[in-house]
Amino acid sequence: MPEGPMIAQLDLELRGVRKRYGSFLAVDGVSLKVEKGQFVCLLGPSGCGKTTTLRCVAGLEEPDEGDILIGGRQVTGDPPWKRDIAMMFQDFALFPHMSVAKQVGFGLEMLKKPRAEIGKRVAEVLAAFEIAHLAERRPAQLSGGQKQRVALARAMITEPRILLLDEPIGALDYALREAVMLELKALQQRTGISFIWVTHDQNEAFSLGDHVVVMNHARIEQQGPPEDLLSRPRTAFVAGFIQGNNVLRGKAGAAEAGVLPVETADGRFHVPIIGAAPAPGSEVSFSVRAERIEEGENDLPNRIAARCTTVEYFGAFRRHVLSSGSGVTLKWDQFGALPPRLRAGTETTLGWRTEDSVLHA
Amino acid sequence: MHWKTRSRLTGWILGTVTVGFLLYQWLPIFVLGLLSFSGPTGGTTFPMNGVSLHWYRELWDASIMNDFKPPVLRSFLLALACSATTVVLSVTAAQAVRGQFRGHNLFFYLLLLGIMAPGILVGFGFALMMRLLGVDPSWDTTAYITHVSWTLPFGFLTMLAVFNRFDPKLEEAALTLGASRVTAFRRITLPIVLPGVIGAGLFGFSLSYDEYPRSLFTTGADLTLPLAVMAQLDRQLTPELYAIGTTTTLFSFLAIGVFTFAFWTLRRRVQPR
Repeated sequence: MPEGPMIAQLDLELRGVRKRYGSFLAVDGVSLKVEKGQFVCLLGPSGCGKTTTLRCVAGLEEPDEGDILIGGRQVTGDPPWKRDIAMMFQDFALFPHMSVAKQVGFGLEMLKKPRAEIGKRVAEVLAAFEIAHLAERRPAQLSGGQKQRVALARAMITEPRILLLDEPIGALDYALREAVMLELKALQQRTGISFIWVTHDQNEAFSLGDHVVVMNHARIEQQGPPEDLLSRPRTAFVAGFIQGNNVLRGKAGAAEAGVLPVETADGRFHVPIIGAAPAPGSEVSFSVRAERIEEGENDLPNRIAARCTTVEYFGAFRRHVLSSGSGVTLKWDQFGALPPRLRAGTETTLGWRTEDSVLHA
Repeated sequence: MHWKTRSRLTGWILGTVTVGFLLYQWLPIFVLGLLSFSGPTGGTTFPMNGVSLHWYRELWDASIMNDFKPPVLRSFLLALACSATTVVLSVTAAQAVRGQFRGHNLFFYLLLLGIMAPGILVGFGFALMMRLLGVDPSWDTTAYITHVSWTLPFGFLTMLAVFNRFDPKLEEAALTLGASRVTAFRRITLPIVLPGVIGAGLFGFSLSYDEYPRSLFTTGADLTLPLAVMAQLDRQLTPELYAIGTTTTLFSFLAIGVFTFAFWTLRRRVQPR
């Protein structure tokens, strides 16, 4: 990709951002590009640095190193109120002493807009978010879903270039979340505002994000479109973090015809090579998706003996959790209403095609 | 015995102790108030000789009130000044400690010394120091400073407790919405912590208004009310003094009442229902 002309197209760029709290490294060299109108999800376990990264973009934290550019402009030293952003907090951070109308208009008030214009805009926005009837209420009188709408309306009214969302639906009832997710996605597409959404929930990240960034221990493990992360996890962490992956570790053998033999405690497996082959004898890991597994007698080239420990029922599928001879946890997903083949305690064999496994870097 | 019966019993015992304590606390004041209504021939102890407003009338006409008017005015102004100073300094000090600057723990304990140090020594030491510097003691300079050293820690602790419950995300939300730090403080932080600010002001007022030990050496020739009362006690004891005591007590209740009323209305404005 050419570097120069693209920059103007970027809503946000992070270059090697690093943030330390005392001896604790919270963000370690994060680089990221967000194109205009993109929906980016920062995904990772708690303490991985995703929220700190977001707060650096907002200007609430000052990075120790690295640059932050918003709309191509250096903002690294700028305070939050001089950045073209808005932010939604996990618990919404509504001002308890202000009515809904007052706090939705707060951003415009800060821009010193005339009173009449603020009143008109607030009325429009409240109507658009279907909260006009709540205009005179205070936050203590609102339900969780209503608070979420007010917080969103308050952040969106100034039409910022970027909306930063820190676990924006984490505080909502589970039943509400899906509907709110769909609405937010539609809103983002309609307005063309870039969303940067921090979450620890991979379902959120993969169903919403155009671009998903997986973080762990202050670093970016992998970033790309969701389908890339799902089909090609680049590290054992990413594979293990994304639900439904079986991760196996072992020693690399000598590669032959684009296939790498991997020696594990549960036998030898074959994994296709991406790029350069790892040195023979080095530690490697690979993963296979649970729905790619086949159970029972077959002539697949990769086979592993395992004992079923539990069977979990999800909406569309049944997940069998098994344990291999060496104690590795394995998952096999079965779709459709077939009669159950395994119960806890059943001994069986799992197999997969070589092309269904993914070698990690 | 069932544990619920036992806890009911404990409840009765603790309740009795509490009522006893409250009586112990309030009866003396009540006794003074009662004796201030005794007749013209009444003394300063029981039994009361008749019931009248005689001593209040005396208070109004006689020279003794002229002796007391200036001290009342001084104490009132001094208490107001201490209240305002306590509010400003305790809010700023608590804000500073909230920012966790280097040495904030030491700062915390140094401020709290004002509560720990014996008042009479603080006053005496301060008076000595001022004499060395050639400053004459006066109720509106030296006494004012020693009073603030006493009232400030109470206001400071109040504000720390209030800020402890304050969610800093609210300020951050305001900053991301385009408010500068000053605007965020004025529009978001201050209105939310205002009940605490009023509490700090109340401490400042009531602790200064009846302060005796810190005033003793720092006030100079123009006495504050507690000093004037003590001086009068040394001269002669009549129910007139009780009338003064009752009047000023009612007056400080009134002041506290006004503060409390303001507190509740503001609290309700911030957190309806």
